[in-house]
Amino acid sequence: MTNLNAVDPAAVAQDAHLDNADVVIGKNTIIFRRFLRNKTAVAGLAIFLALTVFSFIGGFFTQWDKETIDPFNIGMPPSADHYLGTSQAGIDLYAMTVEGTRISILIGLVVGLVSVLIAAVYGCSMAYFGGKVDKVMLFILEALIMMPALLVVAVATSGGGAGLKRDLPSWLLLIIVLLVFSWMGTARLIRSMSMSLMQRDFVKAAQYMGVPPRRIVWRHLVPNIGSLLILDITRGVTAAILAEVAFSFIGIGIKVPDVSLGVLIGGATSQVQTFPWMFWVPLTVMFLLTGSLAMMNDGLRDAFDPSSSSIGKAKKARVRKITAEKKTA
Amino acid sequence: MLKYLAKRGITYVVMIFLTTSAGYFLAVSSLKPALLEQERIPRPTPEQVANSMRLKGLDPDLSPWERYVDWLTGIVTRWDWGRSPNGAYINAEFGDRVWISTRLFLASIILTLVIGVALGVYSAARQYKFQDRAITSYSYLAYIVPAPIAYFLVQLGAISINESVGDRIFFVTGISTPGVAPGWPQFIDLLAHYVVPTVAITLVGWGAYQIAQRQYLLDNVNADFVRTARAKGLSRNQAIARHALRVSFIPVAQSIAFTIPAIFAGGFFAEKIFAWPGVGSWSIDAISLQDVNAATATLAYGSVIFAIGAILADFATTLVDPRVRVQ
Repeated sequence: MTNLNAVDPAAVAQDAHLDNADVVIGKNTIIFRRFLRNKTAVAGLAIFLALTVFSFIGGFFTQWDKETIDPFNIGMPPSADHYLGTSQAGIDLYAMTVEGTRISILIGLVVGLVSVLIAAVYGCSMAYFGGKVDKVMLFILEALIMMPALLVVAVATSGGGAGLKRDLPSWLLLIIVLLVFSWMGTARLIRSMSMSLMQRDFVKAAQYMGVPPRRIVWRHLVPNIGSLLILDITRGVTAAILAEVAFSFIGIGIKVPDVSLGVLIGGATSQVQTFPWMFWVPLTVMFLLTGSLAMMNDGLRDAFDPSSSSIGKAKKARVRKITAEKKTA
Repeated sequence: MLKYLAKRGITYVVMIFLTTSAGYFLAVSSLKPALLEQERIPRPTPEQVANSMRLKGLDPDLSPWERYVDWLTGIVTRWDWGRSPNGAYINAEFGDRVWISTRLFLASIILTLVIGVALGVYSAARQYKFQDRAITSYSYLAYIVPAPIAYFLVQLGAISINESVGDRIFFVTGISTPGVAPGWPQFIDLLAHYVVPTVAITLVGWGAYQIAQRQYLLDNVNADFVRTARAKGLSRNQAIARHALRVSFIPVAQSIAFTIPAIFAGGFFAEKIFAWPGVGSWSIDAISLQDVNAATATLAYGSVIFAIGAILADFATTLVDPRVRVQ
């Protein structure tokens, strides 16, 4: 039945691909490789991971903790005994930095991840249901944007509240309040993107072909906004860390005895001339943290960009070889 | 267009009402000024405290709903936003502070927008050249610094300039020196106080606009309509200026709505750090003094600022985007 001598079009196409040095690589592999190729992004990832590890095991390298007062070393600059010096009260700065970094990373990761999740569910439902539902949900969203978050944070974290507020640690309270106020921008973006996707030809084609709505959402909407979601996670983590530092800096948000980078930086500003290490050490850690996230964000954006002109070394070498061969031929 | 803007305006009025009401309930249920009064020396009896609160319309024994109704009737019938626990009238306090805040932010907001958009266009036209890399890296740097810390660093810089010159050129805190002769000396004094906060807010603010404007312009530079314009004989810069620029400004105009409240939120920090007694620092003080009415008033003010930003953004969009006029 089958003609064994017939030319198989697939094989021909494959030959052509090989001739043109085209290699088919999976989408995820491409994204991963592009990310790895971006030296800045990899450096950012490395710094971020190193800081995370430091915040968990850094405490084992010192005998001090964030509460012990060393009465013989009050307000001392960095020394062999206290790696990063001590505060005015004689508390080891290294121990406080380890603790503060952990709280800051924790707040950033939780708020960044969960707020993007909320935004995705909210934004997609708006685009999917449309009409009245969309109008009402948009109204709620814009009303939330209008609330000055800082005031609500200040009210929520201020003393003299109900029982629940007194029992929760201040970092958890801050996470909850930041979550309430951090997802609206992303949700709006996701709504408009999924709405325009619903109008696109491939979604329409799928609808005419009778593909069920849930499958359309999973196969066509989610992959197309996936890159946006991942970018927004890194952006959200940065934003949450910055918000925590900013709020704690002016004395709302995280409250002593809880330590965070913002608390450390804010507490040190009045003595920046006399105890400079108390200010500059946590500030440097915060820069490393937010800076490494920004570096990663840039690399991820490039890796997800379908029109990216970033091509790999292997392909570059191959292109060079082929053009050289063509010249000699 | 007017009808469209009017419709948006009404929506925002409803929203301001809802957010302010929600804010009032939040404040009234969590701020307890009576507790603070009891810490006074000599210690007043609970009856005295309750009595003095009742006289100021802050009766702690009423339910939140009753207090809300009282408060709202006051605003609707007499435009009276209530009183602070120390007896001051919110309306009078508010008037002074709004003027101080507006003075601080108006110049910064305009500078931020103009510089940000202009540099965004400039760097997009020179993509990957040295100027573009320098400007864009600065914007990313501004993005990873929390506003209050950047303000503080600018303040430190101004102090060190003052010290190295040996004379006080910049005033890093306060809004004016008391006892300066009116007229020219007062104007100079005002400027000297103005420079550092304005520079600080602008330096932190324009990065976001620059990145957004650069990105959107680059997305449009290679679009079909720009290529068509070039084929018709326009130079690259002419084609970008006449065709790509307008399209790329639309999303930036829309983001203004979200950045004006952000600058206002940055204003809390700026006013706190530069010690300007504006609405922002007042609101934070109000919360630490457990002042329900003042906190709600500043919250309402924040919502109004957002609504103004959003309406301005809508207006800017209708100006540059022909598609909106149909509605």
